[in-house]
Amino acid sequence: MIAKRKFIISLSILILLWAVTAVVSVLSGTYEKSLIEALLSGDELAGTIFYKIRIPRVLMATVAGGTLGICGAALQALFRNPLASPFTLGISGGASLGALIGIRLGLAAGILGFSMVSVLAFVFSLMTMLFVYSVSKVGGVVATGRLLLAGVVMNFLYSAFVLFIQFFSNFTESLQTMRWIMGSLDIVGFDEVWKTLIFVVPGCLILLSITKDMNLFGLGDDVASSLGVNVKRMQNLIYFATSLSAGAVISVTGPIGFVGLVIPHILRMILGVDNRIILPCSFLLGASFLMAADTVSRTLISPVEIPVGIITASLGGVFFLWLLIRSKKEVIV
Amino acid sequence: MQTIIECRGVSFSYGAGEILRDINLSLGKGKMLGILGANGAGKSTLLKILTGILKAQKGSVLFNDRPLKSYDRREVAKRIAYIPQDPVFAFPFTVSEVILMGRAPYIGRFEFEREIDLEAAGRAMDTVGITHLRDRLITETSSGERQLASIARALVQEPQVMILDEPATFLDIKHRNEIMNLLRKLRDEHGILIIAATHDIFTALFYFDEIIMIKDGGVFADGSAEKVINRENLSSLYGIDVTVRREGGKVFIYPGD
Repeated sequence: MIAKRKFIISLSILILLWAVTAVVSVLSGTYEKSLIEALLSGDELAGTIFYKIRIPRVLMATVAGGTLGICGAALQALFRNPLASPFTLGISGGASLGALIGIRLGLAAGILGFSMVSVLAFVFSLMTMLFVYSVSKVGGVVATGRLLLAGVVMNFLYSAFVLFIQFFSNFTESLQTMRWIMGSLDIVGFDEVWKTLIFVVPGCLILLSITKDMNLFGLGDDVASSLGVNVKRMQNLIYFATSLSAGAVISVTGPIGFVGLVIPHILRMILGVDNRIILPCSFLLGASFLMAADTVSRTLISPVEIPVGIITASLGGVFFLWLLIRSKKEVIV
Repeated sequence: MQTIIECRGVSFSYGAGEILRDINLSLGKGKMLGILGANGAGKSTLLKILTGILKAQKGSVLFNDRPLKSYDRREVAKRIAYIPQDPVFAFPFTVSEVILMGRAPYIGRFEFEREIDLEAAGRAMDTVGITHLRDRLITETSSGERQLASIARALVQEPQVMILDEPATFLDIKHRNEIMNLLRKLRDEHGILIIAATHDIFTALFYFDEIIMIKDGGVFADGSAEKVINRENLSSLYGIDVTVRREGGKVFIYPGD
């Protein structure tokens, strides 16, 4: 029962961490310290801030951070490479361009609650992933150098397109896009949360249902297949589910970098590499991490709000550098 | 002899050119069977077909008198275990985690290993002799230890057949001997049919009950090692002159006259 015990203990701790972070995050911000008092005294403004801004924001951070974390872990299993993540694979860039095209074409309204912006983000994510995969695979093995290079190149290409669109935008649109590209959880009300959840819930459930197969896949295609895994199906499910959920998140928040890379890494250092544990834990820790980062972004130089993408990218960038330096001594791939 | 796996007119191609053509084989219980052939003769492909990883385009494979493809994947995994030539260990699982993965066909999608699975893994580690490695990371073990861990993983599948691709090629003579003797033990004590590919004549001669020689995608010769390992067959199999001399219970094999 070793794996099961580890699963239960680590999940419990991370749920607790999430709850504590959520409470702290809801109660901190630009509004004066005594939000609770104001709420209890029936202050209308406090109520609005609490229900329309703080709670949706904490939920959005949970959904976004959790999704990026779990997608990172799943992609690392799929590529059999610990450096895969929505950001490094160029998926974030793809989803951003897709979403931006959607926003510019005025598709945000959506059909039957499915935002076409999210659908476009999904399509671009999927295309990017399939392309990067086919380019980086040499003789059945994903070569790390090619993988990272392909991801970087895709990100450059997409940002060129984004800049192109920017160039033909007016000042207001351009500023909006800039803010969005930086990655932000700046939402009002629950609409965006629900719109994202429609995609994220099925995506994450799919990923959580194949964690055992992901472990077996780590032993190679043939061994996984001989142990009863339908390898092709598993790969397609990961492609589909990660594009769907990460695409939906990025279409709302913009590209929030490095959560998907850093979170599974930290967890593997502590908990080992069992995907049955790493995937759900990546969701929880990713959620807590993004909430914490968002809290910092709101309070660091309050009342100015720094886009959370800047916080996660700087933390993640430093972590990535540390990985690179460490990998000089120890082979990580 | 009770037949477990039977190939009837099996042919296979990856696209251009047939890798295997019209293979007919009948493989029985409690044997240790060596598949001998030059590099690229189609040994690996044949093994993957016997495992069900690849599907024959022509002909059929019968497992216990029933078409292999009519079995559910997990049902196959409970009966046939496969160990590739160059096992992939993409993530630093511990040795015991790797071995427990062999229990996958017995465990539900959302279940963790049960007590019986842990016991099976413990027994397998014992049989193979790697109990001391249980908490070691698989990525930090030697190639011999990895091979043993792979065999233990295969063993917890409780298979009737264990299929190994070049199980001892990269090992030195001591570790090769250890692996081959272990496979003999599994044949004798667990009644497992062992099928292993090798391009090494010495391994084939010393350790296997029966040899099947594969050349150009077809069965070229089969029978006991004594019978089929001779000058004529080997010279034809590898395309160079090979001398086989039997003297006083010893066999000398060397290229040339």
